[in-house]
Amino acid sequence: MLNISVSRLISALLVMLGVSCLVFFLIHLVPGDPIEVMLGESAQLADREALRHALGLDLPLLTQLVNFFDGLLRLDLGVSLHSRQPVVDILLERVPATAELAVAALAVAVAVAFPLGILAAIRKDTLWDYTSMGVSLLGVSIPNFWLGPMLILLFSLWLGWLPVSGREGLASLVLPALTLGTAMAAILARMIRATLLEVLGEDFIRTARAKGLDERRVIGVHALRNALLPIITLLGLQLGVLLAGAVVTEIVFSWPGVGQVTIDAIQRRDYPLVQAAVLLISFTYVLVNTMTDLVYAWVDPRIRLQEGG
Amino acid sequence: MPYCAVGPVKILTIAFLLSLVAGCAPPPDGVVNFGLAARPVTLDPRFATDAVSARLNRLVYRQLVDFDDTYQPVPALARWEKLADRHYRFRLQRHGRDFHNGAHLTAADVKATYDYVLDEQNASPHRGTLGTIERIEVVDDDTVDFFLKEPDLIFPGQLVIGIVPANLIDTGHAFNKLPVGSGPFRFVDWPQEGRLTLQRVPDGQAFRFLYVPDPTVRVLKLLRGELDIIQNDLPPELVRYLAQQDDVTVVRGNGANFSYLGFNLQDPDVGRLDVRQAIAHALDRQAIITHVLGDAARPASALLVPDHWAGHPGLPGYAYDPALSRRLLHDAGYSSERPLALTYKTSSDPFRIRLATIIQSQLADVGIRVALRSYDWGTFYGDIKSGRFQMYSLSWVGIKTPDIFRYVFHSQSVPPGGANRGHLADAGVDGLIEAAETAADTASQAADYRKLQELLYQRLPYVPLWYEDHIVVTRRQVTGYRLAADGNYDGLERVKRTR
Repeated sequence: MLNISVSRLISALLVMLGVSCLVFFLIHLVPGDPIEVMLGESAQLADREALRHALGLDLPLLTQLVNFFDGLLRLDLGVSLHSRQPVVDILLERVPATAELAVAALAVAVAVAFPLGILAAIRKDTLWDYTSMGVSLLGVSIPNFWLGPMLILLFSLWLGWLPVSGREGLASLVLPALTLGTAMAAILARMIRATLLEVLGEDFIRTARAKGLDERRVIGVHALRNALLPIITLLGLQLGVLLAGAVVTEIVFSWPGVGQVTIDAIQRRDYPLVQAAVLLISFTYVLVNTMTDLVYAWVDPRIRLQEGG
Repeated sequence: MPYCAVGPVKILTIAFLLSLVAGCAPPPDGVVNFGLAARPVTLDPRFATDAVSARLNRLVYRQLVDFDDTYQPVPALARWEKLADRHYRFRLQRHGRDFHNGAHLTAADVKATYDYVLDEQNASPHRGTLGTIERIEVVDDDTVDFFLKEPDLIFPGQLVIGIVPANLIDTGHAFNKLPVGSGPFRFVDWPQEGRLTLQRVPDGQAFRFLYVPDPTVRVLKLLRGELDIIQNDLPPELVRYLAQQDDVTVVRGNGANFSYLGFNLQDPDVGRLDVRQAIAHALDRQAIITHVLGDAARPASALLVPDHWAGHPGLPGYAYDPALSRRLLHDAGYSSERPLALTYKTSSDPFRIRLATIIQSQLADVGIRVALRSYDWGTFYGDIKSGRFQMYSLSWVGIKTPDIFRYVFHSQSVPPGGANRGHLADAGVDGLIEAAETAADTASQAADYRKLQELLYQRLPYVPLWYEDHIVVTRRQVTGYRLAADGNYDGLERVKRTR
């Protein structure tokens, strides 16, 4: 287990290093100039050049890259070109909101998907199955930018139960979590149904039933546990996506998360903030993936033995 | 015994749902909630360049000079006199001299603020516009002198940066998050980037500025009472919808943002004056304003609004005359066998694409074939700056001083030295720009700029389209808000909210 952890950490660091370099060059290659965004169209050439020099944006690209990694080693990712705040502070301020929404959406997805997926699998080719899969097809087909305002109309404007948007208390978390969790629940439910059907056809399930085990125990303990691996993969990937910031949902619900600030930074060509945000996002992905791998090894002893051998 | 387990769960669930419902009613706290379409980036006036930050900073800080409704510089924190061509004296007035931390605003604070901006090390984006300042001297607590490198008639209009306390500048105070000014509103808190609270100094009325990027959600929040005021950045269809609602009031005011069609004057087709005139006469701007912009604009004839002190109210505008347009095209050698074919570039903003499609259709009516090309902002703007276009549409935003004419139309202002993207090279235009800049007084300067606008109207390097209006929507409980010509939020000084 220690070997697996060390090798995963080393490859994670390499991925992050590669992503940092790639993002650094990509953001500088994209058309658009942060100085023009800051000064507006009517700024004079001399003014633009003076500001470019003061911000160090006139340095050769490789020098800027070295400066970036130098700062990274000291955990100093620079200050935003626009607000002049340390970019780490800007992002850290938003991480709790993103994490809160990600966890809530994941909870909604799990709470909806497991009953739906299990029901569809154990009642295969019945009305229950068709209904469950129909609902999940609907969930995966509805885009967030439409579902969000519809939920707002229903729960905020007509029923008056929940606030329209913002992040003020638990009530404000409900609609964005529902919006974000719906599509994820739909994907997850289909995955649960498919993997569970596969496992339910295995010999050991027949054996368990032949031994006279209660059906709930057969499904809950024997079948579901063996169907978990692909579900964990999907959950890990989805959590990574959520922690990277759900931009559309954040915009619809004015949710002050990482995704929104990243898009703003890209539009303003705020290089330090974009670099830091992408680094954070890639770190999150790598962390979630590494944890997923470790959970694999914990859930399935065969993987542990293969890696060890 | 299953009921023992289910009972508490049910009770807890119901209690939880009730708590959600109880906790979500609109705030009954008397705070005025103002919806913002964009996030304020910084509350430090020495660095703010985005419109929202600038408008909020005007509330917290006071600036030496402001503009009246005709965009003439007028005294704000200080009155000024021109002692020599390159020497201006500013005397601080009594009003607005108390910083919110209790300190008294003096000439030393003015000097410290501007010295900070002018220091290259501090990388203020405003340094460039103040490049004409040679040095600043404090005469006494109430008087400060500005010495210029060269004469500049419109110099006072550049002194619009909020004044910050000198002693806090020395300590490196984080004004961007904890602003300390002497304006009519004091800072209360800014716990999240999209949730800023200010308090009106005279009566303690609190104002909360909430960032709600989606226009539909902004409208829904207004209708539900979570917002009291929203201003601009609303699609016309939402404005029309709001105008039919009982709980809100929609008010429009003249704006100065100038939309135009630009041409590459080196192009063999649109480089011809008769072709540009044909395009100008083919456009039914009033129909676009009425049906697409929801009457929230006025037709434009020049870059400056007619009510600007240097504007030209006498320019009639190119009339919609498709017959004349066809005749001009025919005389220029175009026909149905050899039609005029143009490429029109615009940004990927859906509303801009919609406008471009309508213009494309109107030009098609007179036989001009237009191929639309929309790009993301960075690519589009890069193409325009580097002259890779035949025809494009854009807007000039926030123009207050007429020095814009040199930047946009002088032959020496071709990119990257300026924004003469169409490569206009006209000795008459250059001469009038230079004459205006060296005029003896503002009256003769205004006359020169009017002559310049007449000449530009004839040369037609741009087809002027319209000036977009400002729109504010308030809930009925909120009264007294007055729209400003530049869209600032100063109207909040007089707003009243009944519970």
